[in-house]
Amino acid sequence: MDNFLILILSLRWQDIIDIGLVSYILLRFYVLFRGTNAFRVLIGMTILWFFQQVAVSLGLVVTSWVVQGVVALGAFIIIVIFRNEIRNVLLARNLKSILWDFSSKTVITAIETIVQSVHEMAQQKCGALLVFPGKEDLEEVVQGGIPWKGAISKEMILSIFWPDNPVHDGAAIIQGDQIDQVTVILPVSRSDNLPSYYGTRHRAALGLAEATDALVILVSEERGDVVVAKDSQLRIVKQKRRLEQILQEHMGVAIKKGRESRKEKLAFIAAAMFSVVFTTGVWFSVSRGVDTLVTLQVPLEYTKRDLAMEIVKTSINTVNLELEGSGALIKSIRPDQVQVRLDLSKSKAGPNTFTISRKNISLPPGVVLKGVTPSVVDVELDVLIKKELPVQIDWVGRLPDHFILEQASVEPKTVEIIGAQRMLEKMKTIYTEKIPLDNLEVEGVITANVALNPASLKIAPGSEERVTIKYLTRLRNQ
Amino acid sequence: MKYKTLPLLFLTLGLFLLFPVAAGTQSGNPIALVEAFLCEDIQDNVPQNRTTVFSIERRTAVCYTAFDPVPQQAVIYHQWFHRDKPSARIRLTLKPPRWSTYSSIQLRAEDIGPWRVEITDAQGNIFHILRFSVTE
Repeated sequence: MDNFLILILSLRWQDIIDIGLVSYILLRFYVLFRGTNAFRVLIGMTILWFFQQVAVSLGLVVTSWVVQGVVALGAFIIIVIFRNEIRNVLLARNLKSILWDFSSKTVITAIETIVQSVHEMAQQKCGALLVFPGKEDLEEVVQGGIPWKGAISKEMILSIFWPDNPVHDGAAIIQGDQIDQVTVILPVSRSDNLPSYYGTRHRAALGLAEATDALVILVSEERGDVVVAKDSQLRIVKQKRRLEQILQEHMGVAIKKGRESRKEKLAFIAAAMFSVVFTTGVWFSVSRGVDTLVTLQVPLEYTKRDLAMEIVKTSINTVNLELEGSGALIKSIRPDQVQVRLDLSKSKAGPNTFTISRKNISLPPGVVLKGVTPSVVDVELDVLIKKELPVQIDWVGRLPDHFILEQASVEPKTVEIIGAQRMLEKMKTIYTEKIPLDNLEVEGVITANVALNPASLKIAPGSEERVTIKYLTRLRNQ
Repeated sequence: MKYKTLPLLFLTLGLFLLFPVAAGTQSGNPIALVEAFLCEDIQDNVPQNRTTVFSIERRTAVCYTAFDPVPQQAVIYHQWFHRDKPSARIRLTLKPPRWSTYSSIQLRAEDIGPWRVEITDAQGNIFHILRFSVTE
């Protein structure tokens, strides 16, 4: 118990955010993909992964290999086979609903779309028949029909019933959030109690309502009325809100808000708790697993140096850091995550001594610093100056024995160099890169770079980096 | 009075005899370097194979200098540097009215690299700098 408390108390605020964020991401996956086939396969994959971990811990080598292979293949299969489903989930929602919305809006959104479409068709006096099946099968009652299988949208509904559209005659059957069939022929009512101005469309709507528990919405072409046929009755519905209620009642959304909504809430709470527990478990196993001690050799970085000065000498260029953390964290450390930086902003020309402390070292979260060796660094800085130095040719190799190099001149004769004061004060000459003698002609011209040694030296702006060498050889007097 | 000034006179004369170069160069009639180069050898007072690159197989590098005029006896130095590190400082005496002289160094394997010779007067004033390389 004490250990658990110590573990909880050792959590930093970053760790809590870490767990919270990952839990939320998992929960979002659940909210977005619940009810889809991809989600079910994903659950299966998670169980398989868990099984593989158990197999590994029990030492079942072949089993763990096989399961690992299945999991890897499964991940690929999910993306390939369910790509359309995943795309639909992501495309059907805006960014806000992807990141934040928790409600299951598929049916409700479809109802809103249908109501808006019906309202618009009524305004335009565009005749329409929309059938919403109940629990009874319509197969035996209706005739004809072209499979449509299109997602509900206002544009889709309007275009289906557009008078010039070949499929505008007959009824459209809507199942869930999909237009299932179009040009469906409905049974015509034989009732004598209908007003004389009701035409075939009204009779067809009533006919289906008499024969089944389906709900039919009708838009009158002559009057622009919206009429609902249900349970052998025709009702004119003038308000959009009322039509929405009728549809919700028919589709069971209102009922869902009672019992099923509670069930859904419980499932959601369970999913949220699972996300938090699962993420916390993974987090602890990764960051607070078996402790590993490791020594890393890390290069020292010197920062904020005065640009007018240069580092002449350092006592060390790397430090050994003793780090402790869970095996998984220690193994996953990248070189760029561990940095040792010394701030030279307050250093002066000449020798400076720094002590490396925790504030100089950046480590990945969860990794603890146990020691630094060496902890003291001597850094010698010097002021940068300019100095004009004569250029001398640095010949190497050898001429043929019977030749001598009688003359050699270099242009320009001097170059201006920028470097540390103490170093440049001692330097009397700057040399060219090594020029081989072996391939010289009798006389000729060569261009060569000035050799900047040490590399901290720089050619001053305006000074030549390359020099021209003119030479003359002749036969040696024996 | 006569006995008091005599030792002072002898002392002054002695100083002139001991440090003739210093006296000569301070007199405002300086010596002048007319020729300076490096060569492989001197035979019968004649420089042989003037060059700027010496193979260590040749074993010797010679710096030849000629002065004209030399108003009075004077001292010059040939200072040899391997890179910027002093290697040898050779004192040479010049005699009037003109004088040629030389110095040389023995070359070893560790001497490979760029060299220079500074030709200076007794006060360190540089007449000329010669640059050369020692190679394989």
